[in-house]
Amino acid sequence: MAAGSEASDPSDKRMRLTVLGGFLGSGKTTWLRHQLHDGALSDAFVIVNEAAETAVDDALLGRSAELAVLAGGCACCDGRDGLIALLRTVCDRRVSRAAGQAALDRIVLETSGLADPAPIVEAIRADPMLVHHIVIAEIVVAVDGVYGLRHIREEALGRRQMELADRLVVTKVDQADPAELARLLATLRRINPGATLSGAVKGTEAALPEHAGAVPETWADPGDAAGSAPIRALKVDIGDDVDWTAFSVWLSALIHARGDDILRVKGVMRTPAGRLLLQSVRRIVQSPEILPDGAAEAGSRENSLVFIGRGFTEAALIRSLRHFAGLTR
Amino acid sequence: MCSSCGFPAAPGHWTEAGTDTPHDRLRARFRRAQVLQSILPAYGLTAHDGAQVPGIQLGTLSGNNTIVRDLEEVWAEAERLCGAAIDPLDPRIVGDDV
Repeated sequence: MAAGSEASDPSDKRMRLTVLGGFLGSGKTTWLRHQLHDGALSDAFVIVNEAAETAVDDALLGRSAELAVLAGGCACCDGRDGLIALLRTVCDRRVSRAAGQAALDRIVLETSGLADPAPIVEAIRADPMLVHHIVIAEIVVAVDGVYGLRHIREEALGRRQMELADRLVVTKVDQADPAELARLLATLRRINPGATLSGAVKGTEAALPEHAGAVPETWADPGDAAGSAPIRALKVDIGDDVDWTAFSVWLSALIHARGDDILRVKGVMRTPAGRLLLQSVRRIVQSPEILPDGAAEAGSRENSLVFIGRGFTEAALIRSLRHFAGLTR
Repeated sequence: MCSSCGFPAAPGHWTEAGTDTPHDRLRARFRRAQVLQSILPAYGLTAHDGAQVPGIQLGTLSGNNTIVRDLEEVWAEAERLCGAAIDPLDPRIVGDDV
């Protein structure tokens, strides 16, 4: 479970949106169906987006509390206006509910297999109404356990979806060849070291094999030919002497200048108000959440952030930050 | 919202998180101005935030002045005013580490 998806500030009354993505046929609907059946997301309002005109998935998801279908346009491009309009309607319905009706606190958006989650997150953050009502809780991406390696090799969009995930769910674990599966897991670790990895068989949680010794897959990125560097994930220890305000000035400048290369920043910072969970997707920084003190999880050390992207090194980031903060090395 | 200037139009910018009390908020504004004042002169720009009016005031040495809402606008406006990109990973700042 990604940090912040549950351990959030209880005074934040905004609805929590889970974006469920993954390449075509990767098992998004099956996973979601099980989560609805199992009760983990049974109170959620479910939005299913399908790029095709005819929706099918909604028939499979009968158990959800409420369900809406956005067909005939992918929510990250053609269907974005439709998505925003629908989310506004959901917000209206939530505030006009009668007392005694179950509260609507959670939305799940199942994107089409061809959607890039980043523009969706960006559209919600940029909408003056939705930004007050909806907070992106988590980006879950389903990865096909059988064809995942092929998607990574051949589909830049598939890789982009995996890069942006908070949680990667590897599906069809039972059907996959164990050696290939270990290789897929090692590759996912390289593509997105910040995400939590879990396995699933028909939506039920399944154990993943050990993959420490597996060799990650390589792929030809069309971007490489143009001279761009491979994507790397760096864990950067900020140090306790850099204050939050100086850090925020620096990060805002960095994201402004290098937003195309810095795909993701995630981590926990110490601020005067407490521990702050910081997450960005390209140029969009989600409203930081104050984490309750004492709920420190393993791996969420303070003042330690993961930067995923290309064109920078840990030493450069730290030197630049210390320059901004007025500290000499 | 201030009916004259429209501040604030949206919930606080993410850089304004992490402060609970008015005291902390004021201190963060002064610290933010201090950091900007140490960075922007290298680009021929000045920054001022006296916490009297909303926003951050940016200026050039030739007297061109503007007021921006948050740090996101600071960098866009600063680049426009100085006519060059402001990159924190500029080799002049980080040396040969990039």
